[in-house]
Amino acid sequence: MWGWLLTLPALIHTLIWVGAPVVVAIFMSFTDYDVVNPPEFNGGANYTELMGDQVFWRALWHNLIMVTFGVPISMFIALVLAVALNQALRGQSWFRTMIFMPHVTATVAIAMIWLWIYAPGTPGLANRILSFVGLGPFNWLTSTDLALPAVILVTIWQGIGIKMLIYLAALQGVSHELYEAAEVDGANTIQKFFQITVPLLRPATFFVLVTSIIGNFQTFDLIFNLTNGGPANATTVITYQIYVAAFQQFRMGYATAMSVILLLVLLVLTLLSRKIVGGTDGE
Amino acid sequence: MANETNTPDIEDVTRTHVPGDPADDSIQQVRSSTPDHAVKDVSQRRRRRISRTILWVILAAISAAMVLPFLWMFFTAVRSQDELGQPNPPFFPRSWHFENFGRAIDAAPFHIYARNSFIIGIVNVFTTLLFGASAGYALAKLRFKAAPWIFGWFLATMMIPFYATVIPSFLLVRFMPLFGGNDIFGQGGQGWIDSWWALLVPGMVGAFSIFLLRQFYVTTPTELIEAARIDGLSEPRIWLEIMTPLVKPGLLTVGLLSFEGGWNNFLWPLLVTRDESLRVIQVGLSVFRQESNTQWDLLMAGTTLSALPMIVLFIIFQRYFVNGFVNSGIK
Repeated sequence: MWGWLLTLPALIHTLIWVGAPVVVAIFMSFTDYDVVNPPEFNGGANYTELMGDQVFWRALWHNLIMVTFGVPISMFIALVLAVALNQALRGQSWFRTMIFMPHVTATVAIAMIWLWIYAPGTPGLANRILSFVGLGPFNWLTSTDLALPAVILVTIWQGIGIKMLIYLAALQGVSHELYEAAEVDGANTIQKFFQITVPLLRPATFFVLVTSIIGNFQTFDLIFNLTNGGPANATTVITYQIYVAAFQQFRMGYATAMSVILLLVLLVLTLLSRKIVGGTDGE
Repeated sequence: MANETNTPDIEDVTRTHVPGDPADDSIQQVRSSTPDHAVKDVSQRRRRRISRTILWVILAAISAAMVLPFLWMFFTAVRSQDELGQPNPPFFPRSWHFENFGRAIDAAPFHIYARNSFIIGIVNVFTTLLFGASAGYALAKLRFKAAPWIFGWFLATMMIPFYATVIPSFLLVRFMPLFGGNDIFGQGGQGWIDSWWALLVPGMVGAFSIFLLRQFYVTTPTELIEAARIDGLSEPRIWLEIMTPLVKPGLLTVGLLSFEGGWNNFLWPLLVTRDESLRVIQVGLSVFRQESNTQWDLLMAGTTLSALPMIVLFIIFQRYFVNGFVNSGIK
C-alpha cells in the first residue's frame, strides 16, 4: 500500500526520536542514573526531591515572571504595530522586515549582541544611551535585581515580530466595512481600535498568548549565552536547570523528572489552545 | 488574478496568508482605494494626512529601535582598534575595517563552523523535503485506513517539547549499537557522539514540516491524480511528477524553515559534539565568547557571520518564511 510506504520513513523517524524518548523519559524520571552505572529504580524520590528544591522553584518562578511581564508587553506593542502596518504606508514592507529580523536570527547571535549592549561601564550601548538622560551606569547582567528584567527586555524585543505577523494575518480577515460603518457613526481612531479591532482579534490574541507562553517556557539558548542562569541563579529557568542536572551533574533521572513536569505544563497549555483555536489545526 | 476554476491555484492560496510580502500588492490596493461614498471636507483630509505622518514617524522610530542592535553589532565588527579603545566611540565608525572578519577567522575557524552548519542545513532541507513531502502527500491524498491515526500521531509529536526528549535522545546517540566503538549492546565506545550521524539524523524530518506540506497538498485538485491513474502512471510518479510541482511554494517554505532550523540550532550540536572540526557556527560562537571575553570587535564579527545568512535569506524569501512562521506560531 502506497500510503503506508510513503509515510513510513517519517513515521519511523518520529517513533525513534520523539515517541520512544518520551516514554523512556517518563520511566527514567523514576530512577537514579549517572550514565556510568546502570539506572536504579528509586520510586518517586526524584519528584519528592524536586518539591523541596529551592533552585527548581526559583527557575519555575522566573519562567512565570518572564511570561507575566514579557508576553503582554510584547503582545501589546505587536498589536499596535500590526494595526498601524495594516494600512497603506510608504515603506511598510521595510518596516515589517526590520521588526521581524530578530525572529530569524539565531538566539545565540542575539545573546552575543545583547551581551555587548549590556556590557558594563560606558562601552555598553545601554549605559551610553541612559547616560544621555543622566542615569547609570548599571551592571545589567551582574546585578541580581537587573539581570532578569534585562533578559525579559531581550525576549520582548525578539518576540514582537512574530506576534505582529500573526496579528497582521488575522487583520486580513477583518472586514473593512465595519470600520466604514463606524466612521459614518462618528467613531474616532481610538474607539475603532477598542470597539472593533480588539474584540475581532480575540481568537488571534488567544493563539498568540498561548504560543508565546509555550515558547517562553522553552527559553534556553538566551539564558545559556547571556547569563548562564546567574548571577546566583537570578535568571535560571527550567530548561537551564534540566541542562545543568543532566549534562553538568549527570543526574539523568533527576533531570528527566524536571523535563516530565515541563512536558505536562506545556501539554496542558497546548491542549487548551487546540481546543479554543480549533479550526486552524487539523481541519 | 483570474480564478475561473473553483479550485484556486496554489499561488493564490498562499498569497492570502502572506502579510509580510513586499510583492503582494493586493493588500495595498484594497487599503489605498478610499471609499467613494465618504465625502470628506478639506480639513478632515488634512487631519488625516497629519495623523498619517505621525504614525509613519512612530513606526519608523520603532523599526529603527528594532534594528539598532544589529547596526551596533555590525559597526562594532568593522571598527578600528583605535575607536574600540575610546571610552565614547562615535556611533558610525569613521573607518571601515573589514579585515576584522579575517582576524576573527584567524582567532577561531568560523569558516569551518559555517561550513558545518551549512552542510547540516542543506541535508536537513533535502531529507525534510523528501520524507515530509511523501508523508504529507500520502496523508492529504491517499485514503488509506490508518491515515487519520498517523496524522493524529504527527500532530501529537508536535506538542512534545524538545526538552522532554533531549536526554533520552542524547543517550540513544551515546549508546548507538555498533557505532563509534560500541558493541551490539551500545557499550564500550562513544556511539554517534562526535559524528555527522548525530548532527544529521535526528533532524531529518519533523512533524511540523509534514503538517505544513500536507496542508499544501490538500489544496491541490484530486481529479489530476484520478486522471493520471487512468493514464496508467505509477503512484510514485503521480506524487513526484504530477502533484509535487503544484506545491512548489510549500516546498520552498518548508525548505527555508528546515535550513533555518539547521543553521540556528545550538543545544543539540553542543551536546553531541566536542571535536572542533564538527563544531557548528552557533556553538563555535558561544565557545569563542567564553574563550575571548573582551575582544568585542572579533566577537561581533563572528556574530555577524552567524546572523547574516539568515537575514539575507529572509529578505530575499520573505513571503515564504512568513507563511511558515504564521502557521507555526512561536518558535
